[in-house]
Amino acid sequence: MLGFLFARQTGLDDPLRLKRAESTRRVLCMELNQDRDVERIHGNGINTIDIEVIEGRYMLSGGADGVIVIYDLENHSRKPQYTCKSVCTVGRSSRHVHKFSVETVQWYPHDTGMFVSSSFDKTMKVWDTETLKPAEIFRFEGNIYCHQMSPIAKKHSLIAVGTKDPKVQLCDLKSGSCIQVLQGHRGEILSVRWSPRHEYILATASADSSVRLWDVRRATGSLFALDQHNGDRSKASFANMAHNGRVNGLCFTADGLFLLSAGTDDRMRLWKAASGENTLVNYGKVANETRKGLKFAVSQGCSPEFAFVPCGSSVAVYALHTGELVTMLRGHYNNVDCCEFHPDYQELYSGGKDCNILAWVPTPRKPDVEDEGQRSTTAESESTLNPAFEDAWSSSDEDG
Amino acid sequence: MDHAQRERLSALVEELTTSGQPQLDQSKMKDVKKICKASSDYVEHFYNLLMSRLAEEHAEVRLSALQMAGELFSRSHHFRTLLVSSLQEFLELTVETDPEQPLPPPKEAARRLKTLAIRTVQDWQAAYGQAYKKLALGYHFLKQVKKVDFQDVQARTLAERKRQEEKQKRLERIYKDKVTKATTEMEETSAEIQECLTEMDSCLKLLMPHPLEFSLSDLEATPTAPMHCGKSASPAADDEQPCCSKDLNDRGERVEEEGSSEEGSDAEDIPDEDMFIRQTGLMSHKYSLSLNLSTDMSLKETEENEAVVNTVRDLNRVISTKHLPAVRSWVQVFTKAGVDQQLLSRAITCKSALEEALQRHEELHIHYKKRERRVMRAGADGEEDEEDDDFVEVPEKEGFEPHIPDHLRAEYGLDPVTSLFVAPAKPAPGSVTQPTPQPKRRATEDELDPTCAAATLRMLKQRLLSDQAAGPSSSQGASEGAETTSEAAKQDADRERAPVVPFDVDLYYWGQEQPTAGKIFKNISQHQFWIPHEIQEEVENKELSAQMKSRFITFAGSFQPVSHKCRTPMPSGSLCERQDRVKCPFHGVIVPRDELGRPVNPADAARLEEERMKRVEEQPDWRDRELMREIEAATGEDLGSSRFYGKGKKGSKGKGKKRKYPNLTDLKQSANTSRSRLERKVFNKSSMRRVTEAMNRMDQRKHEKFANQFNYALN
Repeated sequence: MLGFLFARQTGLDDPLRLKRAESTRRVLCMELNQDRDVERIHGNGINTIDIEVIEGRYMLSGGADGVIVIYDLENHSRKPQYTCKSVCTVGRSSRHVHKFSVETVQWYPHDTGMFVSSSFDKTMKVWDTETLKPAEIFRFEGNIYCHQMSPIAKKHSLIAVGTKDPKVQLCDLKSGSCIQVLQGHRGEILSVRWSPRHEYILATASADSSVRLWDVRRATGSLFALDQHNGDRSKASFANMAHNGRVNGLCFTADGLFLLSAGTDDRMRLWKAASGENTLVNYGKVANETRKGLKFAVSQGCSPEFAFVPCGSSVAVYALHTGELVTMLRGHYNNVDCCEFHPDYQELYSGGKDCNILAWVPTPRKPDVEDEGQRSTTAESESTLNPAFEDAWSSSDEDG
Repeated sequence: MDHAQRERLSALVEELTTSGQPQLDQSKMKDVKKICKASSDYVEHFYNLLMSRLAEEHAEVRLSALQMAGELFSRSHHFRTLLVSSLQEFLELTVETDPEQPLPPPKEAARRLKTLAIRTVQDWQAAYGQAYKKLALGYHFLKQVKKVDFQDVQARTLAERKRQEEKQKRLERIYKDKVTKATTEMEETSAEIQECLTEMDSCLKLLMPHPLEFSLSDLEATPTAPMHCGKSASPAADDEQPCCSKDLNDRGERVEEEGSSEEGSDAEDIPDEDMFIRQTGLMSHKYSLSLNLSTDMSLKETEENEAVVNTVRDLNRVISTKHLPAVRSWVQVFTKAGVDQQLLSRAITCKSALEEALQRHEELHIHYKKRERRVMRAGADGEEDEEDDDFVEVPEKEGFEPHIPDHLRAEYGLDPVTSLFVAPAKPAPGSVTQPTPQPKRRATEDELDPTCAAATLRMLKQRLLSDQAAGPSSSQGASEGAETTSEAAKQDADRERAPVVPFDVDLYYWGQEQPTAGKIFKNISQHQFWIPHEIQEEVENKELSAQMKSRFITFAGSFQPVSHKCRTPMPSGSLCERQDRVKCPFHGVIVPRDELGRPVNPADAARLEEERMKRVEEQPDWRDRELMREIEAATGEDLGSSRFYGKGKKGSKGKGKKRKYPNLTDLKQSANTSRSRLERKVFNKSSMRRVTEAMNRMDQRKHEKFANQFNYALN
């Protein structure tokens, strides 16, 4: 750390280098922290969370009971202890609440005044954050599994919606109507993701075990479908299968160069977004039994990037390019459904069926100390800080 | 880390968890703590051991492990961090948070484990929840998601509670249904019951007024009662009298007593004391005259009160068989369902009224007339009166025929014995007429049934008998009958001794020459002119003729049951109870023995002793079974102990395999139920094999007929 600082001071290093090193370190020492809590509002499992990118301050969460909550993540109390308060809630008492489980929530990428939620009640609602009333309601034929707005789009305001129908729907916020369908899949669409690099590129994952990339300007069909064998005909029994089971999770890396997909064949695959080539990174077995979409996250701004994947009742952290399992974040008592990475503070928020949103916060770096005497005092100070950390061997044990 | 200490820790943990005790051994636990205190490495080792013990599929092991965890949790910070880091698994294994991983048997221990685990988690949360985030999360998880009620001592989970509620609801619904049903029933029948009660009440009043209801007004009537009571049977009872008055046997004295008491009360009306003394002969008012009214009386049914008594009886039957059970069930339903007080009180009053009516009926002790049916009674009347007009009174039953042809008797349900109608001295016929044994029960039943001819017949029989007794004209026949009876008895005795043989041709031609014995007639051709040229029309068969003329009678003798027993003393101390004729399959030839089982005959005793000696020689004493086996095990040579003792001793051999943890409840031990025992018998390998073999053989036999056909030849 000091070496990085010195190099930065003397101008030897790129500023990005220091940032990357520090954020990587922080990600690696992420843990369930005593100091950070998220208020318990949901009375049921949490399906989806989203953190806005403008200020990085507000977090949306959607529950299996249709409730949507907005949390304030910023700590203004000047104390390490902080509970993220809920700012406002679309509760069951609200007139506009979703009838069934909310599957996806997303902030409008350019402003916090608006967010979009989609639910199993076959509607997608565009909400005004101020009034907490839907400004627009899109209705669909089948259950909506996922939707996404492009995070970088300036020239269009399309929402890609994946439903039970094999056609991917594109809804335009400008006109308030569904303007285009993308045909090509043969199963329900479990995940849709816009590329963070090119605003017209869309990736969709379906239950027919294929992943397709689209240019939404092209009307004829998809650009290509990802093939796990990279076109090696001898191995492929079916052409262009990304997985051997349903593909239920997709995520672009922050730079948009790679696409990560997860399937119910308990595999994860990393693809080059530009060519659709399978990089053949082996992540090992990634338990994945959910029948709905899986929401996982990829870190941002670290030098080896990390993928955070819900895996049973824990969150697995993988090194993105080596496939190495870095750590398992255990803290939930039931299945984890979603996780979201906060790029500014290197924090991870995860929501699960046990109604908890857990904040995984980097442990603060211990003060560097040189001499022994000081170390002992710090250890003492820690134990005096919290008497619960003390050992309590009774003297009677000594006798016995 | 010292290896020895480590080993000792493992041993201690194993010992503690397999003790099977509900409480931990404190001294051993102290040792564990002492070791763990030394270093956090030991704590870690202990933690690993503990988690592996917790994963055991045995609730008692888990319970002990949980208790140990509780002990260490309060001591060591390191242990706390370790345990809290894997609290999910811990809760799964102890609190059953994962429905797919139920707690292992035994059930009782599992229940205790769960309760204790919940209490422990609560305690931990109270003490360390602030410091350990995951512990708090786990606690909230239990509380909010699993809905564990920490106040609830039962530690029931949501599902259990829900089940309980549902059960309760179902019960309530059932009760509600029952209540509505009972209420409607009550509404419907209460009027009927009321009517029945009043009827009963008035009937009883007619029969026997309640003692309290005797009043002055009755007094005028009562003096006449003693006159009547003597001649209760006289038909000239005046109509205005309540018919019961003549039936009360104790009525006379009662009325007298009543009378005196009434007089006493009369006297009290007179203010003057002298008057009082003169009238009553009593010196003071203070005398209290206690009348012992015997409430237990008996009422006799006579012709006069017959109608009332009949009604009472019917009512009584209706109440006791129909109304009272119904009302009782209502009361039961109402009390169980806890309905409003009004319905219940109504039902209860109804019940008590009915019971009171029954009680009053009991108290009367009515002697009902003995009567089976009205017809029979009429017959009895006829017997008394000996009047023909009474006979006319008997309704002509359909099918009543004084003379029933013999072949129709069975049809009429009558005995074929016709001794009453035919002359009593009927000579015993040569042929043995064996009366078809009519079931006795049926006959009596028939007699009771007035619609049956048997009843009429019985009546006629009675009449006839009484006629015989009365009229001397028929005495001659009777004497004749007496004469013949001695002869008949002799013949009967003869007949009993004579063998009964089935009727056959030889009897048919008894003492005659059989003309056609053994001759076979051949049918000549029926054709007009085609006649076989050589025809022997008659063929005589010797064998056949002998068969026709003779008869085989076998004298096998009768079966004589064995009366002696084997009576050989057995190891159990009793004597052998087998009753074989000559030889007991276990103890050889049966010889007479005394009550201690020793042979009576000295020769027998000597022979038996000899045999015993021979047997002992075959298996010398030193061949002790255990010893032999030990020697064999030690030397590895077969000395033949199994040859001598192996048979039937397999069970004890199997026991030698010791259970690893004798203190724990054995989970593999299957319940020793009749079903399991049967299963062992029925489904054991050899019997299954036997059965399949037998069935295969049967299958094959089915095809034996076609064995020469190729498609059956194969199987």
